[in-house]
Amino acid sequence: MTNILNINDLTVNLQGKTILSDVQLTLSEGDILGLVGPSGCGKTTLLNTIAGFIEQEQGQIVIANILTITPENIIAPQHRNVGMIFQDYALFPHLTVEQNICFGIDKLVKAEQQSRLNKLVKLLELTNLEQRFPHQLSGGQQQRVAIARALAPQPKLLLLDEPFSNIDARLRNELMRSMRHLLKSLNITAIFVTHNKDEVFTFADKISVMHQGSILQTGTPASVCQQPINWQVADFLQLGSWIPLKVQSSRVYQTALGEMPFLETMLEKRENNAQENQIQQLLLKPHYIEVCPTSAANVQIDHIAMTEQGYHYLCSSLTPNTEFSFEQLSYYSNELYSLGQQMALIVKTHNFVIFNKPAHVNS
Amino acid sequence: MVLTLIFPLLVLIIEGISASTDLFSYLWQTVLPDYISNTLILGVFVVILAILFGVISAALIVHSNIAGKAALRWLLMLPLAMPAYLVAYLYTDLFDYAGPVQRTLRLWFNWQSPNDYWFFDIRTLGGASIIIALVLFPYVYMLAKTAFELQDQNLLKASRLLGLSAKQSFFKVALPLARPAIAVAASLVLMETLADFATVQYFAVNTLTTAIYDTWLGYSDLATANALASVLMFFILLTVVTEQRARAGQAHQSNRVNKTQQIIVLSNIAQIFASGFCWLLAIAGFILPFTLLLLMAWEYSTLEQFFALIPSATNSITLAFWAAGLSVVFALIFTLFKRLGTDKRRYLPLQISSFGYAIPGTVLAMAMMSTLAPIDYMINDLAKFLGFSPPGLILSGSIFAVIFAYIVRFAAIANGTIDSGIKQIPRSIDFAPASLGANLPIMLTKIHLPLLKPSIWVAWLLVFIEAMKELPAVLLLRPFNFETLSTQIYQLISDEMLEQGALGAIFIVLLGLLPIIWLNRDKNNTSQ
Repeated sequence: MTNILNINDLTVNLQGKTILSDVQLTLSEGDILGLVGPSGCGKTTLLNTIAGFIEQEQGQIVIANILTITPENIIAPQHRNVGMIFQDYALFPHLTVEQNICFGIDKLVKAEQQSRLNKLVKLLELTNLEQRFPHQLSGGQQQRVAIARALAPQPKLLLLDEPFSNIDARLRNELMRSMRHLLKSLNITAIFVTHNKDEVFTFADKISVMHQGSILQTGTPASVCQQPINWQVADFLQLGSWIPLKVQSSRVYQTALGEMPFLETMLEKRENNAQENQIQQLLLKPHYIEVCPTSAANVQIDHIAMTEQGYHYLCSSLTPNTEFSFEQLSYYSNELYSLGQQMALIVKTHNFVIFNKPAHVNS
Repeated sequence: MVLTLIFPLLVLIIEGISASTDLFSYLWQTVLPDYISNTLILGVFVVILAILFGVISAALIVHSNIAGKAALRWLLMLPLAMPAYLVAYLYTDLFDYAGPVQRTLRLWFNWQSPNDYWFFDIRTLGGASIIIALVLFPYVYMLAKTAFELQDQNLLKASRLLGLSAKQSFFKVALPLARPAIAVAASLVLMETLADFATVQYFAVNTLTTAIYDTWLGYSDLATANALASVLMFFILLTVVTEQRARAGQAHQSNRVNKTQQIIVLSNIAQIFASGFCWLLAIAGFILPFTLLLLMAWEYSTLEQFFALIPSATNSITLAFWAAGLSVVFALIFTLFKRLGTDKRRYLPLQISSFGYAIPGTVLAMAMMSTLAPIDYMINDLAKFLGFSPPGLILSGSIFAVIFAYIVRFAAIANGTIDSGIKQIPRSIDFAPASLGANLPIMLTKIHLPLLKPSIWVAWLLVFIEAMKELPAVLLLRPFNFETLSTQIYQLISDEMLEQGALGAIFIVLLGLLPIIWLNRDKNNTSQ
């Protein structure tokens, strides 16, 4: 498969501040990439730099193995053959649906324009809406016009800036599915920005997690969730709660929830094999926790909420102010406990994911 | 290009600073203290009256159950369309010794001479203040009304829940919140008052503007006129700075549209006073003078007079047409540069070119004169040197100077209108064309200009109307024997013969109504 996008060491400064530093990214033909990260991490800047609205300080962007964009060779947006779907769609309000769609292809001969228009109108179910103006369309229809308009010049790469954020939650899933189907059937490479990880699972083949101007990890959504590369990735994707732990004499893990045998085979991931007696953090998914009625209590329930997965409890350790104490450990159960109740939780045997996360830092 | 627009002002300021101290000390010993005190007293009186008229009427319209609200809401804006000098003339006509009011009173009470009774004299500083305040208070009314309407209604609800009555809430919450808006309006009123020329001239009240006019046209003393202009300019700058300060604190408005206002219920007696007050303002500021004008036109106008007005009307329209067109072109260049440029200081041209709105026509005229006349001399010298016959005063003595002055003075109107139009266009629209392969010229001609068409049209119209009404700058800058509608009407007023120009005056008032109607229509649209 050919590479559609190759980004090497990309650095962007805006108003004296480094917004993107040393970004690396490669996309093959037909890949759909979801770009996630906390607000202000540089997602939209990366999109705008690829599109050509922001100039890079350093590094290289290669589009479709043809265009090589460097700080010395900046190519104007209109010559990059990159399409974009804007968060607010940016439909031209004074042009009809048909004029909007044909805006980027008006240099082609009329017959070709007409045939592309017809195809897109049919594909995006815009039949009979061609002569309407954007304000006469519903939100979903406007989005489909924006897609048609971006696809008309047949771009190599399609960029989508939070395309689903303005859409009603119930419609969103349906739209994401149909749009994914469309992009796949046309074999279009796409990058879409979101801060909602659920959208990535529905829509994308790959996920890139950004943090403070860099891409931390890129991979399939499943692999990133199973093997986050560092605690920021795990934290942003909210893969579980954190509890402090320490390895003692290479034999046992010590935690506030008791001791566990230390087995190399049980380690999915342990960051830079820490020394003896150093506190690290264990990423703990709710389903790896269970109640042990026979043991002495080690946590207290601070908060109870009702969810579809049963009762959701947030617990804190009963030993406050020690190196092992923790707060806000998530645990789900169908059984109803009472607020302030003390109980014993234990960690089920599973493949541990351990990071050197600073104890009380949130991303 | 921007520098060209403000260059004359720089020349004026430099000449003002470098004017000989002898001249200033001479002026100071003779007339200047009088001029300055008259100007300041006039300014203070007008501002106080305009705030009283404007804030009270706005508060009643927004916060009380005053009767006839729907009509008053509109009528209270209309005085803005009346040029103050017209009202001054019409009221003098009405209230003078020989006017119908005093005649009738004499008839009723059988008075024989002015010694038998007291009647107020309108041709005084106080009279001028009242007349000017009557036509300028709508600024305060409109801005205060908007401020009251856009205030977060939850603040008033909160104050009610905390135990205050509707009336107390108004005084303790709504009014203090509207203070920045009122301050901005007051500074606009002050600027217009300082710039007023024809009213005070007609009432023979000596202010800085009349002094500039007299020293230049009466005594051809350019240096003194320039010195006076720079004194006036100093007061204007002071006002502008104060206004900017006031604007900086204006962050009290909410976008939450909330129709359920906490209405103050007026007692029957209060209702009578309140309605009386508002109707009096509307009648005195617009209805009465306009009716007088209509009656005058009906009684005296002939077809001959109508035809006599056509040449000057044509001149007015030609000037206004060019001024409006060029202002819009400049405004488009500046606003598009600000929006699409990459330069760090891309907003500067727009800002600098908008500064001219504060400058009185008389000051601007002096600035034009001191800048363009030397250039003309240079051109003539150059022509002689090259062996051509000297072309004469092609810049300072032609309509070029007038149009230039108009553009400087009204650039702010065009800039403001087009800039607010461009702000309505989402930022993403700037990016979308390039992502579809279109370059800058295509983007401008196919997207931005078509989208801006309504703003361009409105900006053009607003500048056109203002240019039709402008008087002092034309009076000083026009070529010999060149009359516009407003200079002709002013001339007729000076000669106490407005009857012959009544039709033209009606035309000017009607033109002035257009932007008010437009502004109001726009408000209705946005509140829906």
